[in-house]
Amino acid sequence: MTESEKQVSRRDFLKLAAAAGVAFVVGAGAGYYAGSQKKPEVITKTVPGTPPTSPTPPPTSPTPTKSEVVIGVIAPMATKQGMVQRNAAELAIREINEAGGVLGMPVRLVWGDTKLNPDVAVSEFRRLVTVEKADFMTGGFSSGIMNAMMEPMAELKIPFLADASSPGHPAKVHEEYDKYKYWFRITQNNGATFAWDLADMFDMLDEKGYDVSHIYIIRDEHIWTDAVMSYLQPELDKRGITVAKDVKVGRGYTEYEPLLVEANDMGIQVVVPILAIAGTGDVLAKQWANLKLRLLLAGHDLAALDLGFYEATGGAAEGYIFLADGGVVNTAPPTDMCKQFIQNYTAQYGHPPEAHQGFGAYDAVYLFKKVVEMAHDDGVENPFDPDVVVQYLEKFNPDNPINLTRTIAFYPPGDKNKFDHDLVWGDNYVRNWISQWQNGKQYVIRGKIKNADMIEPPWF
Amino acid sequence: MSKLRKYWNIDIGQLSYLIGFLLVMGVLPIFLPDTLLYILGLTFIFIVFAVSWDFMTGLVGEVNLGHTIFIGVGGYVTALLNVPTRFKNTFLDILTNIPPPPIPITILLGGVIAAITGILIGLITLRLRGWYFALVTAILPLLFIKATYVLKDIFGGEEGFSVGLSKALAPDTIGKYIITLLFMAASILILYGIKNSKLGLTLIAIREDNTLAEALGINIYLYKVFAMGISSFFAGVSGALLVHYRVTISPDLFDVPLMLLIILAVVIGGLGTLIGPIIGGFLIYLLKYWVLKVYLIPYIPTTIPINDDIILYILLIIIAVLMPHGIYERLKRFYMAM
Amino acid sequence: MVSINTVMIILLYGATFSGILALISSGFTLIFGVSRILNFAHGAFFMMGAYIGIYFVQQLNLDPILSSLISIILVGIFSIAAYITIIYPVIKNEVMTIIVTLALALLIEQVILLTYGEFGLSYPRLVAGTLTIGDVVIPMVRLTILAISILTILGLWIFIDRTRIGKEINAASQDPEGAILIGLNVNKIYAITIFVSAVLAALSGILYSQMYAANPFQILNSLILAFSIVILGGLGSVKGSIISSFIVGFIYIAVTTLIGARWSEFIALAIIIVILIVKPTGLFGVEE
Repeated sequence: MTESEKQVSRRDFLKLAAAAGVAFVVGAGAGYYAGSQKKPEVITKTVPGTPPTSPTPPPTSPTPTKSEVVIGVIAPMATKQGMVQRNAAELAIREINEAGGVLGMPVRLVWGDTKLNPDVAVSEFRRLVTVEKADFMTGGFSSGIMNAMMEPMAELKIPFLADASSPGHPAKVHEEYDKYKYWFRITQNNGATFAWDLADMFDMLDEKGYDVSHIYIIRDEHIWTDAVMSYLQPELDKRGITVAKDVKVGRGYTEYEPLLVEANDMGIQVVVPILAIAGTGDVLAKQWANLKLRLLLAGHDLAALDLGFYEATGGAAEGYIFLADGGVVNTAPPTDMCKQFIQNYTAQYGHPPEAHQGFGAYDAVYLFKKVVEMAHDDGVENPFDPDVVVQYLEKFNPDNPINLTRTIAFYPPGDKNKFDHDLVWGDNYVRNWISQWQNGKQYVIRGKIKNADMIEPPWF
Repeated sequence: MSKLRKYWNIDIGQLSYLIGFLLVMGVLPIFLPDTLLYILGLTFIFIVFAVSWDFMTGLVGEVNLGHTIFIGVGGYVTALLNVPTRFKNTFLDILTNIPPPPIPITILLGGVIAAITGILIGLITLRLRGWYFALVTAILPLLFIKATYVLKDIFGGEEGFSVGLSKALAPDTIGKYIITLLFMAASILILYGIKNSKLGLTLIAIREDNTLAEALGINIYLYKVFAMGISSFFAGVSGALLVHYRVTISPDLFDVPLMLLIILAVVIGGLGTLIGPIIGGFLIYLLKYWVLKVYLIPYIPTTIPINDDIILYILLIIIAVLMPHGIYERLKRFYMAM
Repeated sequence: MVSINTVMIILLYGATFSGILALISSGFTLIFGVSRILNFAHGAFFMMGAYIGIYFVQQLNLDPILSSLISIILVGIFSIAAYITIIYPVIKNEVMTIIVTLALALLIEQVILLTYGEFGLSYPRLVAGTLTIGDVVIPMVRLTILAISILTILGLWIFIDRTRIGKEINAASQDPEGAILIGLNVNKIYAITIFVSAVLAALSGILYSQMYAANPFQILNSLILAFSIVILGGLGSVKGSIISSFIVGFIYIAVTTLIGARWSEFIALAIIIVILIVKPTGLFGVEE
């Protein structure tokens, strides 16, 4: 092998390299020329309402060729958060098709898997829009992936009712409206709203006679918890609550016992987890229940939201107080449609929606149907035009909410908190309900849809 | 003499395959939809990841499990040079007002900084032969990922940040496709040249027989460190290119899944063959992100615990055990036997 | 000012954490020391021990201790099967050994992810309750695990030092060619060693998921932890691995309580890298 390479003299190599270079440039040039020649053709072929692939699209106009409506779901399909979105959208689409479709056209579901990788997410997003001709997208999960997907969304101009938790996304809509206006958040999980619900949780604990003057925070080492903290701090100041210690933990962190022991030594009564990325809320609950210290565990933990959490922790979750982000706890559906959806979903898939993102995806499909029909009724020439869809979605503002599985309204552009196109937060809209694990079930223990009283951990 | 000719033919053959491949790729945009072109562009960048990894692991024989370090460093360098506002109100505030140089320069700088990082790591870890290098490079990417979390005001933490559409490689997909294709071609030709130069031959000699090479007065350590610099330079440039291709940067560029995909591609294609990793990179990337996903996975019932990763890992084990020299050598032998 | 309590926390929790680390890394070092196989599937054996045990307890309602024993033996048998089918064919090729074992680890990770999901799973406790030492509360399970770790490591030492097969293993590790010359079946010795190493991994996986939780991501996490410890202790030195497990374990807990949890991994890694720059062969390693 080594000998063979010695035989190639430098000059010959260069000759070949030069030949290769020339051949390549010719080929590439031909390709580029052909490619640029092809572009107008691509546009004329575009299904009306589907954003064309060119960055400077001509206005789309309706043609009689539109025969179906395509809805794309994009999410990490190996996770519950992804599967539930696909299932929920599928269910909504089936129901809509059985009831006659959208504007008389059948609806087709297409889906892509982000694999939680930004490159995959972006190419799947593009595939769904340009090959499958999706009219509209829903899905998401995980802020970093969402950041990456917002770029093809802006380039391809496609309405996107999304799930992700960073306040950075609506801020983009706020700062570059024309570019990012196609983005709406359909789940209530802007990290910042957790702060308001946490503050309410402390009020509740205070009313019940627990000492919340000092709290011990254990949170993800991640941007989303910084946003929570920046909104939480003023609320704590207002209530005279001191953060005795603020511990940041990384992905996969498991040593909670020394922290709980320390909190107990400091005379703390309330330990506040703010966890999602760590992914080890189960370990926290287990170590907490095993140590049996006089500590309440009350905060926000994505793991605790999981329906299998109680079993996974061997019942250690009993008494764990958490925020149900997304606005629905299965035992306490806030609307009739929600009750119906949980029933239908359970009938179809054998279990209730396995993550809150399902409510978002289900609502997204119905919302899209709704705005397209509204635009059509108003006599808009092309109700599928992305700009029209955005304009009609914006009609659901705090003064004009719509009841789906939750009461949906979006903050209008120019929001003072930079929450543009985010779900409106509040008792009459969507909240991250204060909930608790009791006897293997999740109950809401405060607010408008409360369905159980708070209990103490078994060893208190 | 006949032996000589045979070898000659192989080398010319290799190059002509390459030319053919590039020609086909060059005219593909006429026939393919935008989205497949987009994936192909990513594939070209990925092939440079694979080929540059093979340069260190296949050619020099040191298992580098931290190649993503250089991809990531290249990426963050160009991203930060283009978005200097990330430095605002941090301890590096002074960098905020540096005007961004032209994109080709920042991409190149990404490669240079990555090469410096590679040389530094090489200086520390290549002193000992064999296993230490693999183990240390396996744990190092974690340190870099942690750094992006700890300094998240600058690096954007887990989410990363966007460099903005105006900093894209080209305004449309075809433009991006052509640029990445040209880049891949140039990288392969340069690495091919190095492999066949005196330097490349020395590196192969070191891999084949350490003791002999040492006896001949070759400073193994310095040669390896130099090779590490070359390998990480290409990783850095291609990482930087990827950032402008997809317009965003995040720590996934440092992360294990990308490293594994590189290993998968090179081992399946054939370690140390240069052509092998090109074939492997092409096959694996398209298989994983297009073929399996679109034509296979949707038809597997969810009750069976199989996904595209599992299929690829099984394939990797089978190929590693049955044909440890990879598909390319096997094809070549088959071809010569005919 | 660091209080007595804090010191006690570091000592008690650090020792129990270190015990688990020592179990994980000693198995990894053992197989490397004897056969020069860098077994990247070690972390997979570690988590398989936990998941198979949990399966028997949950699905077949077996007693947790019986399930643990079955699980440990199954993982041991699996490791021999893996050795024969995929490691042995490439054993002469360093690069390929790393790659096939790594691929096996990831394969197992994906299967676990698809069947059990990404969230952790708890192993039913063998021991419950807590103990108060001084003013510091510590769960019984931690102390039990520390005791099991110490006993197992002693057992391992007796096995290698006192039994015939142990002595053969020792001989093969020092001079594989010499071992062949005096008529030892090196292949058999390697198979036995990987069995012992996998049994240690499975046991530590079960104990780990008692204290924390079984989680598919621990396959790679534990591997990286084992790497760091083994690099620090010196490749192939079981003694070095055990001592450096305690160093890493105490650093980890000390950083967690004194500086902050987010720094624990970062600082532990940084210290290891500094040591490596100063003494590239680790604390107890010898140059090859």
